[in-house]
Amino acid sequence: MIPHIHVHAVLQESVSEVCLDLVTRPTGRVVRERIERALATTSLDAAVTRIDFTGVRCIDYSCADEIVAKLLDDGRVVLVLSGVSDGHREAIEPVLASRGLAALLERRDGELEALGAPEAAAALVEVLVARRVATRTPGGTLALTLA
Amino acid sequence: MTRLVEVPTHFDDRSFEQFAAAYAAAGDGTRLLFDAHAAEWASPYGLVGLLAAGEAAQAGGASGAERPLLTAPTHTEVLSYWTRAGFFLAAAELFEIHGKVPRVKPASESDVLLPVTPVRAAEDVHAVVSNLQQRASAILTSELALDPKATMGFAMALSEACQNIVEHAGTGGWVAVQAYNWRRKLARRVVVIAVADAGVGFRHSLEPTQGKRFGARWGDAAALEAALIQGVSRFRDPGRGQGLAGIRRYLARWDGKIAIRSGTARIAIVPKWDDDVPLQEGLSPFPGAQVLIIIPEQGSTTR
Repeated sequence: MIPHIHVHAVLQESVSEVCLDLVTRPTGRVVRERIERALATTSLDAAVTRIDFTGVRCIDYSCADEIVAKLLDDGRVVLVLSGVSDGHREAIEPVLASRGLAALLERRDGELEALGAPEAAAALVEVLVARRVATRTPGGTLALTLA
Repeated sequence: MTRLVEVPTHFDDRSFEQFAAAYAAAGDGTRLLFDAHAAEWASPYGLVGLLAAGEAAQAGGASGAERPLLTAPTHTEVLSYWTRAGFFLAAAELFEIHGKVPRVKPASESDVLLPVTPVRAAEDVHAVVSNLQQRASAILTSELALDPKATMGFAMALSEACQNIVEHAGTGGWVAVQAYNWRRKLARRVVVIAVADAGVGFRHSLEPTQGKRFGARWGDAAALEAALIQGVSRFRDPGRGQGLAGIRRYLARWDGKIAIRSGTARIAIVPKWDDDVPLQEGLSPFPGAQVLIIIPEQGSTTR
């Protein structure tokens, strides 16, 4: 089992009103700090963590940077991003690319795609396959070996 | 002593220079009278720019606490539109208003996708983005033929433009979003985001981190170039500067335009359908920063 963080639920805990949008740096900072606290106290191995964006209507570049990029910044965690819409991806992908970072995008069919800076993405895939966290499927795609 | 600042009859981003020149000529230390009685039309950019001038005039006035004067438009339709656009709600805090202002609420359903809204803190940005998405998504996709994907990008661009005020202006500002016919070049529908503040401006905000790098070239134009073209930020955090870079990417994809005026300079990323000037220097000084973002109806930009 890998830790599973529902970003929308964290967002709701972080702001006073009902909110569907991950916007502004202060909001992103609060959400990231809550995620970091949750990962620090989990009994599961947080080296690979699933961050689920289901229920989030909009994420802006500032929040993408403050949450996704900064969680990846120290290199201790691999993020599997799930529930990501095309709109979410438009914010997350360039932020990762500009900072030379990469994460895994989990599609609805369970296949994985490396997202971010090309070199970092290729290196991430190699590391995960070598550590048997992910495996190459017969169809040439990538899948998690952990649930 | 009271000095007159005439509001252009057609008040948009182009005639703004005429307005800025009149504002600069009026100078500090006197009470200003902004005369909009003859106004026939104003874009969202004009409206939020007028509010920024009002705030700056209040701060720089003779007594400090004395509010500048504003004569409201006399044309009934113009007055009605300014009211529906939420202008007078914001203006009442800044100006001593003369003229009959109708008591109608800002529009809930119309081409005014977001009435003039103050932006002072991150919470205001949340409210702006949420309101825009609730009210405008259908209009953006149906009238402007924007892909649903583009509407989320639009919200992102709006969020980043507003955050620019919160993080850099050192004061509050205003945002307005409207859809209308862009007659100047396109003769098609566009949606416009206008953001203005009377804060410290880009040069002052970036000077501590960028001034030395530019040396003698440093000024309003260099600051705008650094922010919009090079994506630099006053913060040393490597993730900063993503906002304007993201807006640029979004506009490149949807053939949109951005123009930013700050101090004595104005920079624009000009799409093929427009003939704006990419960089202007030596303009009349005007406080803060004013941002204009235009997304055209899709499939309409061939001239």
